[in-house]
Amino acid sequence: MTAEKFILLVEDNELNRDMMVRRLNRAGLKVITAGNGQQALDMMQAEQPSIVLMDMNLPILDGWAASRRAKEDERIRHIPIIALTAHATETHKQYALAAGCDGYATKPVDFPALLITIKRLALA
Amino acid sequence: MSLRRQLTLSLITILILFAVNVGTHFWGSYARGESMVAYRNSVTATQLSTEVEQLLEDQRQQILILATLRETTDDQLGDAELQRAEEAIEKINSKIQKLGRLSHSVTELNYELLWNKSSALLKRWLKFYRSYNDPNIEMDMNDPLRFMDVSQSLQDLEERQAFIAAQRANIIDRTIALTDRITVIAFFASIFLTATLGYFLVSYTNTSFKRLKKGTERFGSGDLDYRITDIDDTGELGDLADAFNDMSDKLRNAIYDVHKARDAADEANEAKSMFLANVSHELRTPLNAIIGYSEMLHDELGDKHEINRAQFQQDLDTIIKSGRQLLNLIDDILDLSKIETGNMSLHCETFEPAALLLEAFDVLAPLLRNNSNELRRELGELPTFNNDAAKFRQIFTNLLSNANKFTDAGIITVSARELPVNPEWVEFTVHDTGIGMTSEQLSRVFDAFVQADSSTSATYGGTGLGLAICRDFCTLMGGSISAESKSGVGSTFTVILPSDPA
Repeated sequence: MTAEKFILLVEDNELNRDMMVRRLNRAGLKVITAGNGQQALDMMQAEQPSIVLMDMNLPILDGWAASRRAKEDERIRHIPIIALTAHATETHKQYALAAGCDGYATKPVDFPALLITIKRLALA
Repeated sequence: MSLRRQLTLSLITILILFAVNVGTHFWGSYARGESMVAYRNSVTATQLSTEVEQLLEDQRQQILILATLRETTDDQLGDAELQRAEEAIEKINSKIQKLGRLSHSVTELNYELLWNKSSALLKRWLKFYRSYNDPNIEMDMNDPLRFMDVSQSLQDLEERQAFIAAQRANIIDRTIALTDRITVIAFFASIFLTATLGYFLVSYTNTSFKRLKKGTERFGSGDLDYRITDIDDTGELGDLADAFNDMSDKLRNAIYDVHKARDAADEANEAKSMFLANVSHELRTPLNAIIGYSEMLHDELGDKHEINRAQFQQDLDTIIKSGRQLLNLIDDILDLSKIETGNMSLHCETFEPAALLLEAFDVLAPLLRNNSNELRRELGELPTFNNDAAKFRQIFTNLLSNANKFTDAGIITVSARELPVNPEWVEFTVHDTGIGMTSEQLSRVFDAFVQADSSTSATYGGTGLGLAICRDFCTLMGGSISAESKSGVGSTFTVILPSDPA
């Protein structure tokens, strides 16, 4: 892991992506972004982020599939993934955890709680 | 054979045997009675014969004495003595006649013989008495032959009567023995028959009832397809089996119906849960922007550095837009819920469909420009509508905004024409040259909360309820909607509506 820690935010909705980037930046975190699951996998391999915030409903390759593949790839499987989704049912949470996600947060995001999770998983 | 027929047959058999017994008894009594009368006559006749014999003997003795007296003395016979002798002879004569009345076909011959001989003898005796006092008339009364002849005939008759009495007694004994035998045989036969019939009846009904019981148990334990088919009875037990089978059919159908209803209820429940999960998801998406941006702006207001007013305004616009999207979503959900609960009604009014379409084009014009789309209209002669104008407007606003949403720098064509077969109906089509759909996406395009791709809502917005509402509105207005599409080429939505739903 490189000395500087940064977050990969995977989100296809432009408004939500910009908002999250701005809020994470305000919290002093460095963020890079991807717009779909495939791009996220590519960037995880290339950039080796400290943690990934992954939306689940994504074009091309959705968040569940991307998480599963990331956990099957030994070059990037150590990178923690937090699922971010508007699906709030227990079933969907289980789907995300079964896909290999390390954390789970529902939209609308409880931002302070999300920061704590990020710190616990990656920045401790 | 049916249970009732078996029981009836048994009863009739027993009654016949009973009747045989009673009949035998009466016949026996009658036969005994008849023989008894004959027997009694014979006995009486025998007694009478003995009596007559005695009288004849006495009379002969008296005549022999008188004949001797007549030869030896000249005594005359007094009138009183003559009268007594005549009476005695008449008495004998009447007794013999009485004997004749007791005789019957079997002894007739003997009696006639007796009657002829005795009549001659008695006449002779009477003549003797009457001519006793006349010495000129010579009469030999010592000749025993005539008397012996009569006596012999009387004895013959007597023997004959005795023989007949013995015969009758014999017949009575035989009759009694025969009736006794018949009674005993009939009694044991009826007992045997009753027992045999009872046994078969019991074993038959037992078997049938066991089968019925088995059927009931099998059915009761859940084998709903089990039917009682092994009862050959065409009577009550067969009817019972048929009734059982009928009941089984009805019960099975009722149970299947209940299962179906339960499955349907489960499915409806599942659909409801799914719907709720979808609603939750759809509500959270705009709320995420509203809450996220609001919190962010709130935090930024607390920052020391200058606020970027342009950025601030743009962020507020995002919040407002998301709020409006949320409102639209709630309206759509309420509409859909109203339709599903049957509370959505038509408000018919007269309108020109072309005019409403042109209004919709005007409203959508800015959006079309945003996506650099060109709108083409091919509106033919259309009838005036008497239908729900608000729903008509919403259908085409939805279809046009969808077409625009999924088309970039393309062409959107709206056409309308009367159906050639029925000019009261109009066919509207909204065609675009947008991203189109795969056949799998097309098959679910009118389902609630389904956008062609789960990620398209993120890219293109929308609630995923628009087309579901369009479909329900079209149905409500008496028409229909269908879609054709090819991925990457474009989509065509066809709406067919009657000018008047009534």
